[in-house]
Amino acid sequence: MSALESFWTNIVSDLQSFGLQFYENIIAHNRWNLFVNGFKNTILITLGAAILGIVLGCLVAICKVSVANQKKALGHCHPLLRILNVICDIYLTIIRGTPMMVQLLIAAFVIFVTVPFDKMIYVAMLAFGINSGAYVAEIIRAGIQAVNIGQTEAGRSLGLTQAQTMRMIVLPQAVRNILPALVNEAIVLLKETAIVGYIAVRDITYVSTLIRSRTFSAIPLLFIACVYLLVVLFMTYLLRRLERRLAKSDRR
Amino acid sequence: MIDVRDLHKHFGEVKALNGVTEVVQQGEKVVIVGPSGCGKSTFLRCLNLLERPTAGEIWFEGTNITDKNCNINKLRQRIGMVFQQFNLFPHKTVRQNITMAPLALKLMSNEEANDRASQLLTRIGLLDKADAYPAQLSGGQQQRIAIVRALAMNPDVMLFDEPTSALDPEMVGEVLEVMRELAEDGMTMVVVTHEMGFAREVATRCLFMDSGQVLEEAPPGDFFSRPQNPRLQDFLSKVL
Ligand SMILES: Nc1ncnc2c1ncn2[C@@H]1O[C@H](COP(=O)(O)OP(=O)(O)OP(=O)(O)O)[C@@H](O)[C@H]1O
Ligand SMILES: [Mg+2]
Repeated sequence: MSALESFWTNIVSDLQSFGLQFYENIIAHNRWNLFVNGFKNTILITLGAAILGIVLGCLVAICKVSVANQKKALGHCHPLLRILNVICDIYLTIIRGTPMMVQLLIAAFVIFVTVPFDKMIYVAMLAFGINSGAYVAEIIRAGIQAVNIGQTEAGRSLGLTQAQTMRMIVLPQAVRNILPALVNEAIVLLKETAIVGYIAVRDITYVSTLIRSRTFSAIPLLFIACVYLLVVLFMTYLLRRLERRLAKSDRR
Repeated sequence: MIDVRDLHKHFGEVKALNGVTEVVQQGEKVVIVGPSGCGKSTFLRCLNLLERPTAGEIWFEGTNITDKNCNINKLRQRIGMVFQQFNLFPHKTVRQNITMAPLALKLMSNEEANDRASQLLTRIGLLDKADAYPAQLSGGQQQRIAIVRALAMNPDVMLFDEPTSALDPEMVGEVLEVMRELAEDGMTMVVVTHEMGFAREVATRCLFMDSGQVLEEAPPGDFFSRPQNPRLQDFLSKVL
């Protein structure tokens, strides 16, 4: 047998054994279903958390921006707003000052201990949503405050109200700064959800470790790495398109 | 028309305005000059309450606008303001820049607002730019549009804060020309500027401000040829 031939046979047999192993680890014994369900859960948690994060982030950002605006216009702000502002600050400080992992564990094993295990996915959504909200708030606040103050002054000097100026002049310009950063935040969120296995939520990472503990193969982990990568690449592609579209309509 | 009584504005330790008392009559064209940082912008911005005065009163057409119960938004509809940096809305076309406020405040119908915009743009010779975006225009064109954007509200008085300072020299003339025509039409104007030629020609009265106070005021003839205050004499010797 020539060297070339033996090289060739080796590759073919390697490929065959890889195919077999792949089938064993990913498809067979109902494992494909496990992965599909895990993937669904990963996406569900990410989506739920992203939506909750955006809602929370908007509320906190509105509060922070209103406080800044009132302070600038009047030199002080409404007492109710001041209380809300303190609450927002506490929220931001705690969420940004502690690890996501710890927040998740506290949510599951301290605050929602009574929640049954099959509902833990909602606890995960909530924990990630509350966490993401803190970062989204900062993205939105920075996006709004990056719009030149002259724009607000021009709007107000024409007699537009604070709300009209915000809606018609500031927000449309702020969205250009905010949207790309939000997609980035969603990418980070997707990757961070990989720790939900710690509270026994069967996301794609958890499924892969389950299977690995049976087969002791590297394949489940490599497989989910590829899955994450593909999703992130897809989101990055969306981000690039979004940025191109914003640049096109941006006639500055 | 505008009656300013003992106006003070402090930014922390900085006393930007230090007791300004001034009356502007209908149809007057008041030009304010003075060294950098003396409080000219602050004074102008207090007139439409972009800055809240620390103390003192401002009466506009018979109402005390520094009163807490005064409707600031209604007031600002009658006071046009033009900024050094133009501050056109970059995401709106020229026409939308002009019609936005009258439409949002329901002062005009769509058709009226568009007609008014066309009429104003024709007046400054920029009707062909109606559908352009601000970034596609030169600084001089942008500032002329900023002026008519304020005019679209039919204000009773126009405030100008160094409207030509951010412009290339060759564009200063076209903006001053629009302001000159506005003055001829009888608009009441308060103008902060370093354009002494414009002040001489258009002003009915010149004010000299320094360290938050009005140190001298006179018709342009006396103001430039026979300045009394030594600091004004010094200032004029530097800028003329
Ligand atoms: N928002 C602010 N916060 C703190 N200090 C301010 C603020 N605005 C103005 N000042 C200060 O108040 C003083 C007067 O400023 P103002 O802008 O009115 O001067 P100006 O006469 O318009 O100067 P210039 O010719 O440079 O435009 C300056 O010392 C300035 O630093
Ligand atoms: Mg100034």
